[in-house]
Amino acid sequence: MIGWISLALIAVGAFFFLAGSTGVLRFPDVYTRLHALTKADNLGLGFVVLGLSLRADSWIVVLKMLLIWSLVIVAGATASHLVAEAARMSNVPPWRKRS
Amino acid sequence: MKMVLIGFASVLMLTVIAGLIRVERGPNPADRMLAAQLFGTTGVAILLLLAEAMEIPALRDVALVFALLAAMAAVAFVKRAWHPGPHEKGDPS
Amino acid sequence: MFGIPFVALATGASLALTPTREWRIRPVGALRYAGYFIQQSVLGGIDVSMRAIKPSLPIDPLILRYRMRLVPEYARVLFADTVSLLPGTLSSGFEDDTMTLHVLDCELDVEQSLRDVEERVADVFGLDLSVGGGELAAIDGGAVGEYR
Repeated sequence: MIGWISLALIAVGAFFFLAGSTGVLRFPDVYTRLHALTKADNLGLGFVVLGLSLRADSWIVVLKMLLIWSLVIVAGATASHLVAEAARMSNVPPWRKRS
Repeated sequence: MKMVLIGFASVLMLTVIAGLIRVERGPNPADRMLAAQLFGTTGVAILLLLAEAMEIPALRDVALVFALLAAMAAVAFVKRAWHPGPHEKGDPS
Repeated sequence: MFGIPFVALATGASLALTPTREWRIRPVGALRYAGYFIQQSVLGGIDVSMRAIKPSLPIDPLILRYRMRLVPEYARVLFADTVSLLPGTLSSGFEDDTMTLHVLDCELDVEQSLRDVEERVADVFGLDLSVGGGELAAIDGGAVGEYR
């Protein structure tokens, strides 16, 4: 039973990774792509970590994976802020629907 | 179970390939950088899945290093490779 | 396992060597923040995923500026990182007391969610928000009135 829940969680995680990459390919500019990347991929990793935690043999493994996840979240959010700022500084025009 | 986990890792590899298309298309350096960031997050997930599937716990440490390096790479990129500064109104290409 | 005491030692040393440790974390506020953060980042991930896979690609982006009520640098950093994981908002720079952010859909009530995040962050550090601000300051190439 726990095995199946774990697989379902990992599948949900994979879905968010796929959606994130879809966004990176389909969204029209760097800013919107950053939205897709930071939010969807971090959530995807969260679900993968959650799913794998259910199968882990020890708490140390769970803690290590949670540490990795929080590191990726902080790094991802900070990196996307910096990349978006750099893009604005070099006048990469934001895409507008009505212009 | 083992094969299913490896299957999920392969699906994630597909999303990395999507990122490669974005690196190829650009159009500006920031797009390439964000694709590299995608490698970081997805790479971490793939390594964690493989660590479990193939029973190689050391891959989790590789994932940890990956996470750290992806963060460093993004900061280094912004600070060194692509930072025209607040006053220079440069060409985005 | 062997490394745990060393990690504790290194963390302690690093904290002790930091010249001015002005911030203080309130455990209750941090817990409330964590619950809010998890809930909102899940919503944020679902929101952007749906927009990315829908054939019509329902986005209508806009760059806004928000006048922050949070003053200390460390609180602003946590604020910006949180904003980037919320549905439809992405922080993209600071200028004086304002934060620039990219919004995925100008139909979203950005001002209200930014005020919420600020209050949660203030709760973590026990900060006072009555200094003023807390409203959208401008949009790129226009005034706030043009928003929506």
